[in-house]
Amino acid sequence: MKLPRLFGKKRGHRRTGSEAWGSFAEGLFYSALVAAGLLFGGTVLTGAAGIGWPTLEGEDPSGGWNWWLAILLLLIPGALLAFGGSGLARILQGWGKSQERRAAASASVGLRDAMGHAADEAPGHPGVPTCDDLVNSPGTILRYRLPIESPESWTLLGLGLFAALWNAVVLVLALGAGADLLRGQTDWLLLALLAGFVAIGIGGVVLFVRMLVLTTAVGPTQVEISDHPLVPGGSYDMLIGQGGTGSLRALELYLELEEFATFRQGTDTRTDRAVVGREIVKIWTDVPIAAGGRFETHVTLSIPSSAMHSFASEHNAVKWRVVVIGRPERWPAFIRVFPLVVFPADANGSPDAAVEQDAFAAGGPG
Amino acid sequence: MRTPQVSPPGDSQANGLTASPRVMVHFDRAGRDYSARQQLVIHYDIDGLGGESVRAVERSVVWYTEGKGEEDLGVHWFERIDRSEDLPNVCPRGGFEIRLPMSPLSYEGVIVKVRWCVRVRIFFIDTRDFVSEHVFDLGGILPARAPLERLS
Repeated sequence: MKLPRLFGKKRGHRRTGSEAWGSFAEGLFYSALVAAGLLFGGTVLTGAAGIGWPTLEGEDPSGGWNWWLAILLLLIPGALLAFGGSGLARILQGWGKSQERRAAASASVGLRDAMGHAADEAPGHPGVPTCDDLVNSPGTILRYRLPIESPESWTLLGLGLFAALWNAVVLVLALGAGADLLRGQTDWLLLALLAGFVAIGIGGVVLFVRMLVLTTAVGPTQVEISDHPLVPGGSYDMLIGQGGTGSLRALELYLELEEFATFRQGTDTRTDRAVVGREIVKIWTDVPIAAGGRFETHVTLSIPSSAMHSFASEHNAVKWRVVVIGRPERWPAFIRVFPLVVFPADANGSPDAAVEQDAFAAGGPG
Repeated sequence: MRTPQVSPPGDSQANGLTASPRVMVHFDRAGRDYSARQQLVIHYDIDGLGGESVRAVERSVVWYTEGKGEEDLGVHWFERIDRSEDLPNVCPRGGFEIRLPMSPLSYEGVIVKVRWCVRVRIFFIDTRDFVSEHVFDLGGILPARAPLERLS
């Protein structure tokens, strides 16, 4: 009898190590958790640890423990038992079953809606995300208004939170230093520390205000589309609206395809991204925006015939998006991103598919 | 009429197996290229069982991801045959016919790849299982090119 190999290597997408050993080690870990939970819980419940349970008459033999504290203490063994027990149940359920059999079983008992497809999957399109969140806002002229996915908003929020929290710390330190000064004491170390903290606090506020002005000064960008979801080979009417004051040196509109891969690196979970396709839809130069008005225009958006559809699984995704880059005359450039969902086409790509794909990958004009 | 394509023994795993099974899969389409919703007809022959007694056979059509991310697996069709009276119909020779789904289509991306394959897994009574995998293309999507610089 040949014993399973303890250590394995990754060969391509496969590992040479034994699944049985892996499951066995996992089982040992979860068994240890269950044992610890039973031991700890038993110790608490039997009073072996010197913790006496209060009687119904209200007497407290431990001289201080009460019901609430005792129940709170049971949360720890309870969590150990729940975590270890569920892990053991999962291992026993999958023991001796092939990868495909486990996946087929989990697909049949997973989160499914009344129509029988996964909740975040488009009906009849496995692996394709739904576009429900992208079609719930009607446009003013075209059918749908696309939601914005702006990284600037999160940066602004982060900067605002940082500035507020940091300056709250500075305020507490300043109150302490002020009280010392009023009592006639001078703590030079505290004052030196305070000076550095104040400088960082002012810097945070300046950065936040600058970003706030930049974000609000250029005005909102609105993108509307005639249909959604999109399909390869399809052409769609798109409305671009850019508000604000002053003029833009350029307003650029791109169609992009981006890949996302989530992987474990040690104990961290990381997501890598790569833009693998870009097409210039249109570039406008010297765009004037009248005060109180906005620049508004229509363009045609075409999806290459043999392009990949939107794809989303647990750790991998392929996403489509429209990217608007504005280059104001007096302000730094801004980027606004509008996600799209592309469904697979019913038929194969046209004979011109390869040519279209080449132009798309190279970022050529549409 | 397209010429059916015979897939050579595919990627296989057989830890500690005394027999050396080989699974030859016959696809009904040349180049193993299929369109979404198309019928997939498979015939296979298993050689080299070496007298080992087969306990069960699993046949499946699955997609999986490859690349930088963790592997995701989706099962489109799965069948396990472990009744002794049914085993002669699937081992050492068998076949099946299924309709392929609309998605996900095969994709050769830069950091994300989606592959479709037929898997035949044989479980033996005295030794460990053996799996053979045969990749085919669904959808005719052209591969992605090198990654582009992010817009700034």
